[in-house]
Amino acid sequence: MKILLVEDDPETAAYVSGSLKEHGNAVDHAADGREGLILAAAGRYDVLVVDRMLPGLDGLALVKTVRAAGVKTPILFLTTRSGIDDRVEGLEAGGDDYLVKPFAFSELLARVNALSRRPPLAEETTRLRVADLEIDIRLRTASRAGQDLGLKPMEFRLLEFLMRNAGRVVTRSMLLEKVWEFHFDPRTNVVETNVSRLRSKVDRGFTSELIHTVRGAGYSLRAPK
Amino acid sequence: MYAVLFAVSTSLLFAVIYWIACQALLNQIQDGLAREASSLADDQQSGGMNELIRSIQERLAASDLPPAYALLLDASGRKLTGNLGELARVEGFMSLSPPVKVVRGLDNEEDYEHAVIAFGRTLPDGTYLLVGEDGNRIDEAKEAILRAFSWGLATTLFLAVGGGMLLSSGFLRRIEVINRTTRAIVAGNLDDRVPNRATGDELDQLVANFNAMLDRIQVLMESLRQVSSDIAHDLRSPLHRLRQRLEGARSRTRTVAEYQGVLDSAIADADNILSIFSAILAIAQIETGNRRFAFAEVDLSAVVADIAEAYGAVAEDQGQTISSALAPGGAVRGDRALLTQMLVNLVENAIRHCPRQTHITLNLEQDQDDVVVSVSDNGPGIPQEEWTNVFRRFYRLDSSRSTAGFGLGLALVKAVADLHGAAIEIMDAQPGFRVRLRFPAS
Repeated sequence: MKILLVEDDPETAAYVSGSLKEHGNAVDHAADGREGLILAAAGRYDVLVVDRMLPGLDGLALVKTVRAAGVKTPILFLTTRSGIDDRVEGLEAGGDDYLVKPFAFSELLARVNALSRRPPLAEETTRLRVADLEIDIRLRTASRAGQDLGLKPMEFRLLEFLMRNAGRVVTRSMLLEKVWEFHFDPRTNVVETNVSRLRSKVDRGFTSELIHTVRGAGYSLRAPK
Repeated sequence: MYAVLFAVSTSLLFAVIYWIACQALLNQIQDGLAREASSLADDQQSGGMNELIRSIQERLAASDLPPAYALLLDASGRKLTGNLGELARVEGFMSLSPPVKVVRGLDNEEDYEHAVIAFGRTLPDGTYLLVGEDGNRIDEAKEAILRAFSWGLATTLFLAVGGGMLLSSGFLRRIEVINRTTRAIVAGNLDDRVPNRATGDELDQLVANFNAMLDRIQVLMESLRQVSSDIAHDLRSPLHRLRQRLEGARSRTRTVAEYQGVLDSAIADADNILSIFSAILAIAQIETGNRRFAFAEVDLSAVVADIAEAYGAVAEDQGQTISSALAPGGAVRGDRALLTQMLVNLVENAIRHCPRQTHITLNLEQDQDDVVVSVSDNGPGIPQEEWTNVFRRFYRLDSSRSTAGFGLGLALVKAVADLHGAAIEIMDAQPGFRVRLRFPAS
């Protein structure tokens, strides 16, 4: 993937840039807003990772300008500003996701990957399929090897999210935010418990395991190799 | 200053009245004299010079209230009769200034100390006739008016200045109270408020608004103080522990695996500290209440239903059960994310602090226009003495110190409830514990 990182703090930039490269991505780096804007508008990137607090042109303004110029590249905000309003502000400016510093690199990687999925499908497919697991988004049904799985509404939402990100790592935070809309850290293991419940319905008794735990990162739904 | 203005305008008024009154009096006297002269002239017409002289003498001899004056000179200026001394022949109205020579009897001259108002007229045969009246009357009247006016002016001035001082001193006193209160607050006494006299006037409205502003400032300052205090108090121990852990690892050579273990623990400690920090800030943000303008309609029934489903499995793993009885369509005006967090806090508290076999219930019902949500459990409950304490930030009941987590749960619940104008009540669920939230109609 080609990634543009706009970050003024040299340590964070080195850390993020280095780690992304280690995972096989090409990373361009801009240290201030203006340089970032020029690169963003010119180059063709799969994902933009933009720090909110930048010298020159601030991150929020950069994103607004980029969007106004018609650039549709997915954008992930990095920021120390963790306020509830700050997140809303960032998303309204045209960002697609918002990550608060400090973050675990695995979190950043998972989110960048999730953002860079291939251009949205022209039509909304109503069915998703991985191996012998199939779900119907409109009818809210899930079946495996032809058998209806009898999922409850929340379980279905969880499975739908995993399937939309099939093959990629989904972190605990991503699940909390996107499936349960919890914008905070719960003090119980609600994610683990519910994934485990889902697993018992989706995987148990079937030929292969589709839902995997990725140590130190999160979960992933994929067909076995 | 107003008193001066007032006095000046009053004086002007008085001066005008004075002048008019004097003029009127004068006119009256002058008219009288003119008529007198006409009547005497008629006498001469009808009865000749003798008649005229006789009339004049009659006039002078008559009651001397007011004292009358007259003078008759023939064509050559020789005095024919009258009680005035030599005078120039002047036509029309005049005022003879004192001293005026008055003749009473032969060679009995007196000086009259007051002015005489006179009217002179030359008759057809050349005789000069002058009639006069005591000007004293006018002087007396003038004096009387002046006296009256002076008293009036003095009284008015006195009232004006006195009244003004009275009113403004009352006003100034109230302003001084405000000033005093403000100084006290600036000096650090945040609880002071300006006393309100409840007279409903503009100054009272100002005072009411002022006090409301002080309330708000106090909330903000208190929140700020609280955050600083929380940070100092509650982050110190975890940071200290982290440092100790790292320092301990450094104290001697260890295996790589040991170092990795220490690093993992250190990261966990750091995460722990960061989440305490975030929680403190989140509560402060909620308390200082800038979120209200981002409120929208929230389907609280749906939110509670989702939470019940999400935590069903978690409770099960703890040997507990969750059930819900939710009236549909309970809508409130608020922030969905905060409301979710608040309710999750309550549910997680129940799960973590209650033993196995506990049953947890989520209720939502409509009571008139209010939406009432309650989270109850039939666990051991909280002793009544502790009820007000549990909302304090880092307060944890002694019995629950062994369970993981900090005490911030209910402090956040209260902050979110307050932000939404929801009344929060804790009660004995007999048995167990219940938190009830009443949201006002949206």
